Amino acid sequence: MVRLITHNLLACHAKGCTTNNFPLAFRDVQLENREAEYNPEFLKGFMPKIEWNALVSTARELGDVSLPAECPEPGTETDEFLHALHHVLMEIHVEEGSMVCPNCQHVYRISNGIPNMLLAEHEIK
Amino acid sequence: MAKDYFIHFAQAHTEFRLPELQSISELYGFSVSLPTDPQEQNPSRPFMIVGLESEDHARLLAGRCILVRAVYELWARGTSYTQLHAMNASRKHIWESYQPGTSFKFNVSSVNHTIPQARQREVMENFSYMAFQGPIDMKNPGIIMSCFEECKSIISSLIKRNDGDFKEAFFGKLVAEGSARSLISKFDVKKRVYFGNTSMESEVSLLMANQAQAGPGKIVYDPFAGTGSMLYTSAHFGAFVFGSDIDGRTMRGKNPKSSPGVVRAAQQYGVGTRLIDCCTFDVTKNPWRCGGIMDAIVTAHLILDSPQDGVRAGAKRLGRKEGRELRDMSRAAKDGTYIPPTKPYELSELAADLVTLSRYLLKPGGRLVFFLPTVTDEYEEVDVPTCEGMTLVANSMQNFGKWGRRVCVS
Repeated sequence: MVRLITHNLLACHAKGCTTNNFPLAFRDVQLENREAEYNPEFLKGFMPKIEWNALVSTARELGDVSLPAECPEPGTETDEFLHALHHVLMEIHVEEGSMVCPNCQHVYRISNGIPNMLLAEHEIK
Repeated sequence: MAKDYFIHFAQAHTEFRLPELQSISELYGFSVSLPTDPQEQNPSRPFMIVGLESEDHARLLAGRCILVRAVYELWARGTSYTQLHAMNASRKHIWESYQPGTSFKFNVSSVNHTIPQARQREVMENFSYMAFQGPIDMKNPGIIMSCFEECKSIISSLIKRNDGDFKEAFFGKLVAEGSARSLISKFDVKKRVYFGNTSMESEVSLLMANQAQAGPGKIVYDPFAGTGSMLYTSAHFGAFVFGSDIDGRTMRGKNPKSSPGVVRAAQQYGVGTRLIDCCTFDVTKNPWRCGGIMDAIVTAHLILDSPQDGVRAGAKRLGRKEGRELRDMSRAAKDGTYIPPTKPYELSELAADLVTLSRYLLKPGGRLVFFLPTVTDEYEEVDVPTCEGMTLVANSMQNFGKWGRRVCVS
């Protein structure tokens, strides 16, 4: 777990860290690919919520270059594109490693597929 | 045009009956017309007459509602058999198409009472004026007709009941048996590979998933996931599910070498791929980048500050109890095993925060389904926290005597 759909929704939330706090950068990751059920309607419905540049750059860092740099306009998504998006969002799992805030460098560790997003007491807003 | 059907309900969680029907019909996009007389809606009665536009709608309800035992097309009813037969005879157009050769099976039964065989036969024979020509087929009949007698009192075991002394009888054709009730056994906590002492019983977690209108392509989130009870049933109905909890140990389980407990349980139910992710964080200090993501937030977090029996895990939030000093952080958090301190989280505060947070995280039209433990005698409707933009849809009580918990749907 830690699929890219989740990664695309998580920003650093440490005290005072409000700008340049997304996307978190993956570090020392162990990846796994696991098949997930394909649901094109779900993908189309979710697309407006995606931070596209962050998704494409993160996927590329993890070695997947299937997504176009520009997000297609609604209604113009091809099957090929939706399958690529499905794979990137739902099937790439980061099992171990960490996510680092580009701004405050806070390290969120991922262990056994579960990211620890807890803040220490001095970091609470 | 709407036709009348009668639904045979399970006598459990009766306050959830109507909210469940309404949630599921709304999910599938059809309407259920309820009886106007409040006595006809009385949840202590086993049958209720509803109006539905199509038989398919009856099948959808039977396939998904946990509290539906079966749905029948209503042919006749009456407080006496004379009344019932008069109605049945006057509505011949409903059943005459089955007269020529349809094979059939005929049931006579009562709820909470066994009708002696001799009288069952007598009741059956009194329908002979319907003149069905088709063969009787007990195994694979073309139609099943059922006649039910509703007993006067539902407290069956305490009262010696006179046979034939009933409140009302209902007669009709079986449309569909409720198939969702078997899920209660499938999701039984005792058969689950991973659970904890706060895991939610399966029937309630199924009812809550239904009230959340979980379905394919939707995202359901439990911000107090614990051992994941609420996630599995929503995922079973096709939703993608997210879980988060302040305490990662409850999601992981004790064995650090195996995959997390929540993942193993999801796999047991064949919904491993729908469990999108589990994260450890305090939802009051959450890292969600934006709102409007979730279709439903369903949580069964049990929180009660009173020391009454049966009270389980208290809520926690990040922070230090008042009067204690902040620890020197220079030496903490380096090895990655640091666990920040938590402080108790007042129930009223938590519930209010949950509603406000849901307003942010939910898509328009999304639902928040949560438990609000209340002291039975003191509860008032105003106790449900409110927030502009969130409307209370349903509120059902599960009574535990001194205290109860309410499922609130906003």
